[in-house]
Amino acid sequence: MEYKVEAHRIMSISLGKIYNSRVQRGGIKLHKNLLVSLVLRSARQVYLSDYYSGACLNAAQSQREGNEWEEKFPPSTTECDRVQSPEEPQQDALPEKEREYRENDDAVKSDQVDCTSTLQQEQNQNSSLDSVTYVSSETRPETIIVPKESPSDSTEEAERDSTPEANGESHQPPEKHVCSNRKRSADETESGDSSKKRVKVGSSNAKEDEEAEEMDTSNVSNLITIFGSGFSGLLSKDGAKPESEAEDSGQICCDQMLKNLNPWSTAIVAF
Amino acid sequence: MGEDGENTKINHSFLRDYVTEADVISTVEFNQTGDLLATGDKGGRVVIFQRETESKGESEELGESGEYNVYSTFQSHEPDFDYLKSLEIEEKINKIRWLPQQNAAHFLLSTNDKTIKLWKVSERDKRPEGYNLKDEEGRIKDISTVTSLRVPVLKPTDLMVEVRPRRIFANGHTYHVNSISVNSDGETYLSADDLRVNMWHLDITDRSFNIVDIKPANMEDLTEVITAAEFHPQHCHLFVYSSSKGTLRLCDMRDSALCDKHSKIFEEPEDPGNRSFFSEIISSVSDVKFSHSGRYLLTRDYLTVKVWDLNMEKGPVETYQVHEYLRSKLCSLYENDCIFDKFECVWNSTDSVIMTGAYNSFFRMFDRETGRGVTLEAWRESSKPRAVLRTRRIYTGGRRRRGDVGVDSLDFTKKILHMAWHPAENIIAIAATNNLYIFQDRVNAENM
Repeated sequence: MEYKVEAHRIMSISLGKIYNSRVQRGGIKLHKNLLVSLVLRSARQVYLSDYYSGACLNAAQSQREGNEWEEKFPPSTTECDRVQSPEEPQQDALPEKEREYRENDDAVKSDQVDCTSTLQQEQNQNSSLDSVTYVSSETRPETIIVPKESPSDSTEEAERDSTPEANGESHQPPEKHVCSNRKRSADETESGDSSKKRVKVGSSNAKEDEEAEEMDTSNVSNLITIFGSGFSGLLSKDGAKPESEAEDSGQICCDQMLKNLNPWSTAIVAF
Repeated sequence: MGEDGENTKINHSFLRDYVTEADVISTVEFNQTGDLLATGDKGGRVVIFQRETESKGESEELGESGEYNVYSTFQSHEPDFDYLKSLEIEEKINKIRWLPQQNAAHFLLSTNDKTIKLWKVSERDKRPEGYNLKDEEGRIKDISTVTSLRVPVLKPTDLMVEVRPRRIFANGHTYHVNSISVNSDGETYLSADDLRVNMWHLDITDRSFNIVDIKPANMEDLTEVITAAEFHPQHCHLFVYSSSKGTLRLCDMRDSALCDKHSKIFEEPEDPGNRSFFSEIISSVSDVKFSHSGRYLLTRDYLTVKVWDLNMEKGPVETYQVHEYLRSKLCSLYENDCIFDKFECVWNSTDSVIMTGAYNSFFRMFDRETGRGVTLEAWRESSKPRAVLRTRRIYTGGRRRRGDVGVDSLDFTKKILHMAWHPAENIIAIAATNNLYIFQDRVNAENM
């Protein structure tokens, strides 16, 4: 739990740095922002890894070598495969996932689903040149609903992607946190897919957190847009989502903030 | 080793604690003979110091070295603006490199984030006098007053140092230039920014040759940037560049026109036990230097300096801990941005000692033969002219001695990032914020 707090703090600090880099004299420093984005991703990964801490942290560590999916998530691979078929009709699966999501115990399972789905999305992303791929799985599910891809495409992709290893290898290096984001991705998928309000799970805690972070997000959204073509994992090509629809469980208060990084315009400042 | 301290200040501020941002020194470099020392600052100015020659005065002892005095000051770069991107371009001088001297004039390259300039530094100690058509003040004479002709002659005059820009190498870089390096062929040099390395000919300003390009097709796939680059000191076809991932790549320009494919890659596998959020940041190489022999490479990352043998790619041959006690403080250092500080590292003239900077005005020297390091301080209060520098210690546990500095009392605003070592003698120039310290090793029978 402690490291979650720490990770959250580091994430906030990192975002603050990215924001400040906008106003710094001399323009945006690519090197520093790259490093900050790496820290941001690591922190997020740890933050979201609480249900899967052991395996996923190891996975994170081994990511750097540009691994295949299955290497990263040896335990999860089979699960991913297992849940592959139920996932095909993604829209239908959403309410299911949503329910699952609310129960923490089942979070892992739904997350696995999202693992693969995000993979597919990545592939979809890759094919479209101007799509900004959000490596983190949390945004990928949103891309399911993005105008560029039709749900049916996603479904097809899902079928093709029976083995996670085959996918999205084109941008290995940025995938630092894929597995750990499964929980968030579950969230994202729900809200993204149907643009319906996600059922609020949270306690009043969550609500307060969300509010606090919603205030930050507009700034953050701006800054990330300006920050530009940035680094994988930090940009999504998604359209705006109503802020109200994103509700998190009390445990992942930061998800709200980070999720709302997604509704950035597709304007990418060429850096 | 005993050292004499000589203290040369170029700070004009009255209040000791108040430092004008523009006065902060951002680069220090000796020329190839060591007679000239150039410093660049954040305000875009370059100050050149010249060593006094030893021949003055019979009373000078053998081995007495001259002091460095200001030789010339000029404004190298001005703040600029990129209209297309609406971005300010800082005038801070990132690097200065001297060209090998070919005639009476000296040439140096200075660069800010975007533009490299070649400056000619020449002396003038004579001026022509006795013009026919102009009088001494330069006013045109009335022709009717000219009764005879004479040939103008050169008369000695006060020494004047002229600095003129000879070449301006602009528009070569989209990203921030972090290094320049003059080739041993004397005709070309390279400049490196975050994603590209360009090679220029010193006489041609409208064209440069791109020799390394690591920009990915999709910027989201970016994972590493170039942090430093240098030509090999003897082989004009070899150069090395370091990355933010802690790797070094040696490239041979004979191999292909675009050296994206390295000839050798030097990297050390990461120690999984030390992994933290900040592992990537602290493994980023901030400086790389070839040894004078050309056989070794010296790199600096946040906590260590490493010596690499060009013949061995799998890891460094020597690793020295600069300030390992900071490892547990990485989070706070991340918060206050100190973790992004880019320290430089230097070799001594014989490649037997390496030096790098740290915090609290400390800098570290490592003797490669014994493997031992010392901590020295560049701080005006403790360095009187001609005083012997005493070594400092950081208290990290165990018995605490008097004078030991605790880790928590380190001043992280006093960082020694830039330094230079004389090419032939044991003279070092240390830049501490806006002060320049020059220390000389006085080899004295009594101190040995």
